Amino acid sequence: MGTALAFYLASAIAVIASARVITSANPVHALLYLVVSLLAVAMIFFSLGAPFAAALEMIVYAGAIMVLFVFVVMMLNLGSAVIEQEKQWLSPRAWAGPAILSLMLLVELFRSIGMESDHMVNTATIGPKAVGVSLFGPYVLAVELASMLLLSAMVAAWHLGRPNDHKE
Amino acid sequence: MTFTVQQFQALLPLVITCATSVLVMLSIAWRRHHAFNTLVCMLGLNAALVSVYFAAQVGPQAVTPLFIVDGYSLFFTGLILAAGLASVTLINTYIDSFKYNREEMYLLMTIATAGGIVMASAHHFASLFIGLELLSVSLFGLVGYSFHRPRALEAAIKYLVLSATASAVLLFGIALIYSQFGSLAFSEIGPQLHEDARPIVLIGLAMLLIGLAFKLSLAPFHLWTPDVYEGAPAPVGAFLATAAKVAVFAVTVRFLLLEAIGALQIPAIFHTLAAIAIASILVGNLLALRQNNIKRILGYSSIAHFGYLLVLLLTGGPVFGVEGFAAYLTIYVVTSLSSFGVVTLMSKCGQDRDADQLHDLRGLFWRRPYLATLMTVSLLSLGGIPLTAGFIGKFYVIVAAMTFQSSWGWAMLAAIVAGSAVGIYFYLRVMVNLYLAKPGMHKFEAQLGWGQHTSGLMVLCASALVVYIGVYPETLMQLVQIAKAAGVQ
Repeated sequence: MGTALAFYLASAIAVIASARVITSANPVHALLYLVVSLLAVAMIFFSLGAPFAAALEMIVYAGAIMVLFVFVVMMLNLGSAVIEQEKQWLSPRAWAGPAILSLMLLVELFRSIGMESDHMVNTATIGPKAVGVSLFGPYVLAVELASMLLLSAMVAAWHLGRPNDHKE
Repeated sequence: MTFTVQQFQALLPLVITCATSVLVMLSIAWRRHHAFNTLVCMLGLNAALVSVYFAAQVGPQAVTPLFIVDGYSLFFTGLILAAGLASVTLINTYIDSFKYNREEMYLLMTIATAGGIVMASAHHFASLFIGLELLSVSLFGLVGYSFHRPRALEAAIKYLVLSATASAVLLFGIALIYSQFGSLAFSEIGPQLHEDARPIVLIGLAMLLIGLAFKLSLAPFHLWTPDVYEGAPAPVGAFLATAAKVAVFAVTVRFLLLEAIGALQIPAIFHTLAAIAIASILVGNLLALRQNNIKRILGYSSIAHFGYLLVLLLTGGPVFGVEGFAAYLTIYVVTSLSSFGVVTLMSKCGQDRDADQLHDLRGLFWRRPYLATLMTVSLLSLGGIPLTAGFIGKFYVIVAAMTFQSSWGWAMLAAIVAGSAVGIYFYLRVMVNLYLAKPGMHKFEAQLGWGQHTSGLMVLCASALVVYIGVYPETLMQLVQIAKAAGVQ
């Protein structure tokens, strides 16, 4: 029952945070909620018995990718009003909502660490080894093809991102 | 995971195509020499096309749970490779006048072709999705490739956003199906679908079909098609209309006709698909009526043609359906390549738009009579006039709908007849422009020696095939038996 509660709570937080992502007019607010939403998804993985996937979600999405997003958005807003804007972002109105949701997730995480593992779908916990075995076993071709996918995405982005000096 | 030699041989077309893209990348890094990079790309794709023959020697092979290489997948692999090769041929002369990097187009084209091959042999939702993304992401780069044109980036953004949405819907559908059956393999889901059509499975199936219908630009998910066709460079339009759609349709048919035939017997799914087919035929043909842009007309025409194909899928059954739609798709590919080819031969990438307005074609017959003849042949074939290949394709569709003997069959037949009648009008409208008297000024002109270029030769061959298949369909019918054999199993 404990993990069921954790699952539903984390799902609720994920849904609320995602709804706030698309309703926020301010990009930085939206991004903060997106981080919370990804953290909540990590918590969902954790409650389903996949701690490795949860850790990856945390490190890759909430950590690396979202920090890049936040940096880019902040850098795009360079200008005279930038200090005023930074002050505005530090007001409680901007961070209170995401902070409360994150705090709820943290409490939930602490609660579930101490508990017996009675996962809802899986009886076993899926660790890094199981993920590795299936990635490089039956799914090895998919992994190879994913590298082609990244190559094509990179080439496309690089080509389209070139400065266009045609009009000069 | 260990591979046997047979499995490796079966996978050769895919391996060679992927290796070609790596080689093209390395040769670009070594030196930006346009002709050399084209040569590498073409040799690689030709080698992949030849290797289809060797892959066929080892018989049906399941390679990991993700892929199955049988006659069906090899037929469509060959078709996709031929269409990719033809598009690469078209690019060669077209892109010579582009001011920026020209070589990446070959790289993206090869990766997109590899994505198509992955889908043709996909036997699992994971490989379906990864093939679809390989195709879509490369196409996004290709559609916006000539970014100095105002329309190109608009088309690329539209394609990116809408195709990502469709992929998300598709993934959600796959997740819902997985949540009920606990498997992603077609062969394990297929038998259970019919027995166990719970509402959540139906929703998942519907979302899956929405995602696929978007990629096939069936009505009402067709809204992106004309804009993207218009904005994309003409050779990319050719690829988008042929290889990309063949790949998606091949995997759709593998899932619906060969693996999960029960899905079509669920009334809700059947009725929805029948309505989509009728809507696509009517919408595609009616909206093309008032267009003045050939690429848009071809876009709407492809919506209608995939409506016809969907009729074939719904009414043909596994045996006749697979044969018919393999034949129809081959005909459609050849015809589209020839019509997009003529537009490509008239255009240059360096200009601010392609020669795609109807008035650009006006009087073409008096300037480039042979080119105008090729265009006429392909338009007649798109319209389904006898003695061209298009007639054979339409014949298959109508026979399937007639023998189906149900009210939906007759309704679809009525839509086909009405759609074809409307279609003739706008195909003839383009054709009339080709023969109008010569006006004074021309912005666009095919080079005088267009027939001696590889791309010109390719268009000539495609048009010759259109007539050959129309007059003597026997060869094609023998060829599609390769694909049909898998359907009978």
